[in-house]
Amino acid sequence: MQRRDFIKTLSAGLTLFSVPAMSAGLANSSTLKNKKVIWLVLRGAVDTLHTLVPSFDENLKILRPKLVEGLQGKLNPLEKGFSLHGRLSFCHELYLKKQFLPIVAVGSGYGARSHFDGQDYLESGLNQIDHDSGWLGRAIKLKQQQGVAIARSLPISMRGSTGETWYPSRLKDADDDIYSSLMKLYKDDALLHSRLSEGLATEEKVGGMMAEHKKGKFIELAQSCATLMKGNEGTPCAMLEMGGWDTHNNQLSRLDRQFKELDKGLQTLHDGLGDDWQNTLLIIASEFGRTARENGTGGTDHGTGSALMLAGGAVAGGKVLGQWPGLKDEELFENRDLKPTTNTFSWISAALNQHWSMPVSELAQIFPDHKPYKTQLIV
Amino acid sequence: MTIQAVIATNRFGYGAKPDEINLASSDPKTWLLNQLHNINFNDGLTHSNEVAVYLAKYNQQQKQMKKSKSDDERAQMMQSPDMVDKKLAKQVYSHLSANMVLQAVDSNTSFSWRLLDFFSNHFSVTGQNRVMQAYAATLEREAIAPNLVNKFEDMLLTVTQHPAMLIYLNNERSFGANSKRGKQGKGLNENLAREILELHTLGVNGGYTQKDVIALANGITGWSVANPLKDKTAGFKFVSKGHEPRTQTLLNTAYPQQGFNQGKQMLIDLARHPSTANFVCTKLVKHFVSDKPKTDLVNKMVATWMRTQGNLKQVLTSMLTHSDAWHTEFEKFKTPREFLISTLRALPNLNMNEKQIINALTELGQKPLNAGSPAGFSDDEADWLGASAIMARIDMSAMLANRVKKTNIKHVLTMSLGSRISEHTRLMITRAESAKSALTLLLMSPEFQRR
Repeated sequence: MQRRDFIKTLSAGLTLFSVPAMSAGLANSSTLKNKKVIWLVLRGAVDTLHTLVPSFDENLKILRPKLVEGLQGKLNPLEKGFSLHGRLSFCHELYLKKQFLPIVAVGSGYGARSHFDGQDYLESGLNQIDHDSGWLGRAIKLKQQQGVAIARSLPISMRGSTGETWYPSRLKDADDDIYSSLMKLYKDDALLHSRLSEGLATEEKVGGMMAEHKKGKFIELAQSCATLMKGNEGTPCAMLEMGGWDTHNNQLSRLDRQFKELDKGLQTLHDGLGDDWQNTLLIIASEFGRTARENGTGGTDHGTGSALMLAGGAVAGGKVLGQWPGLKDEELFENRDLKPTTNTFSWISAALNQHWSMPVSELAQIFPDHKPYKTQLIV
Repeated sequence: MTIQAVIATNRFGYGAKPDEINLASSDPKTWLLNQLHNINFNDGLTHSNEVAVYLAKYNQQQKQMKKSKSDDERAQMMQSPDMVDKKLAKQVYSHLSANMVLQAVDSNTSFSWRLLDFFSNHFSVTGQNRVMQAYAATLEREAIAPNLVNKFEDMLLTVTQHPAMLIYLNNERSFGANSKRGKQGKGLNENLAREILELHTLGVNGGYTQKDVIALANGITGWSVANPLKDKTAGFKFVSKGHEPRTQTLLNTAYPQQGFNQGKQMLIDLARHPSTANFVCTKLVKHFVSDKPKTDLVNKMVATWMRTQGNLKQVLTSMLTHSDAWHTEFEKFKTPREFLISTLRALPNLNMNEKQIINALTELGQKPLNAGSPAGFSDDEADWLGASAIMARIDMSAMLANRVKKTNIKHVLTMSLGSRISEHTRLMITRAESAKSALTLLLMSPEFQRR
């Protein structure tokens, strides 16, 4: 007899009783297969003030006049005076269906501003970074479940578990961002510089077709993710990554492209999962936020306070959570960054508690330094 | 960490392994001089004698197959446990040539492996068909590695008697017109003799004529390869019945010797010739030091060559002890092979299997032992630094960076390039948006790409 059938039979025989502890435990792990969790890391520190825009806050215009100007007419309203970037139109649809739940002004507790360390910290989920143990890995292990990372090698988040990796072989590895970085890197090497320019020009030419094909790597990854997760036999947990968020310059146009790709990817994920979307919790985070003030090159620099975005049919969305710290100079963290008022891990812990029914004792093993919040996040 | 240690490990070695710059820094020159030794393979991998047996059996079976009368008979033969596997040639090639890369990655004396690579390319053979595919990778292991720091004539003689070279340049069936075989209608093939003069010794402008080509070709008539099934032995075989029995005049010198010794003496004299000294020393400097070799450095090496009858250890010592070899402009753009090996040395966590190594080098345009010409792979920057080549290298770097599980970028940076890295590059790398981007930038940085 299949385990699932066994449980079905068992629970059928127990209908007269109020659910006893043991069967609750069993039922819980049987339905867990359907309760999907997807963890999406936006690498490079997304500018959340440009994503979940605090349109009500008068100081925003003072801190970033050009960026605010550039966003005119490109925003969709959320509650409490926040707005969602217009390129995230699918996310806004989800919000209206109460399946999108942004939480503003969060932080992981990481105190410095290095991308690598910040990401390691966010993935490890511990006060001391452990490169061999990630919070999602610990969660999967406690649940005796499977997880898959859509990546070439296992990210820290999933380490310490039997997590597997999968990566579509047809995809090119190099991100678009790397080419612009290399152009800068080659400023003193004329030959490397000119060969790279030629190479890029050729790819452009070849690429009427390529541009078509290149609707975005994240969209392809999201499609793969949905395929691997779909159905009862699909893996219940997956991790996705998307780079390109380190917008020190030309932020308006770069984030337009980034959000478009992200939004399309999320729609692909939604469509690909089909009915499973109803039982899905998607957690989207970035290592930290960016400076509240715009810099001199139409961008923003490494900051602190960020945002967490939950999405999926399982999410009690359609509202904006988190405590707004304000954007007055004295309200900023070190007079430069949005101040985190709540902790990322406590939010994730709460979501796992409610979605995967993980008891506090297990959550303490996943996030030993952070207790779950009590706020309702899951329907 | 001195810049000299960075030069020692990167310009002359195959790139620094973690801690290698430290090891080299107290005395970089001596660190390299200590690596001037031959390489001997005791790994039990396929020897050319085994290749000969395999190929002879294979040919025999193919003949039998053709003779067989019915499909049944053929099917039965196919089932036989003695049947030689068709794919063996390719397997020998892949296994040996990828193993060569892996040993270079692990080596603590990577300068000697660079020398092996240099001379293997100097005596380039290509795995162009089944026979050559099976033999190609045995040449460098058997004829070049054991002679890296001997006299050049030792290497030249061993290479010229190796089945891979004899077959590749068609000498195994080259017979003198006045020999017994010649009178039976077999003839001369000047291919190997021409390439010895043009590519292995004097160089194209080394002062020889077509007459000299013929003289050398006659001198090495009968230099052939044994058939293990007929001869009950394998390897080099001198077929005296095929040797041209006359005195030959090469570069105005008469060679009255009889038999094998005639060609042998010709090769020894060629190896000691000033044109050869000049040609090989220029090529060495071009490979290791600069695309535009300085005459002073070359001249000093040539003088050593002439004084020591082409003692490679002495010649290379002359190179390493000359200040020109240690100039601080890093102008040599790494070949794909150097790039891949140095990447694997810099990132010990990055494991690649044999198949991945061959695929990667093929992708980057330098499939091992596939130069496609006896001239070998080019040593010119222009031939490696094309627009599409650099795009392929970027993609490879990103792929490898994606596969590295754990990296401490700052550590890798210091360990592989030491004090060489510019502030601009360091900032770009340490500020990259993810560890993967940082690693890609590091591998593609001018400092890592040039040595």
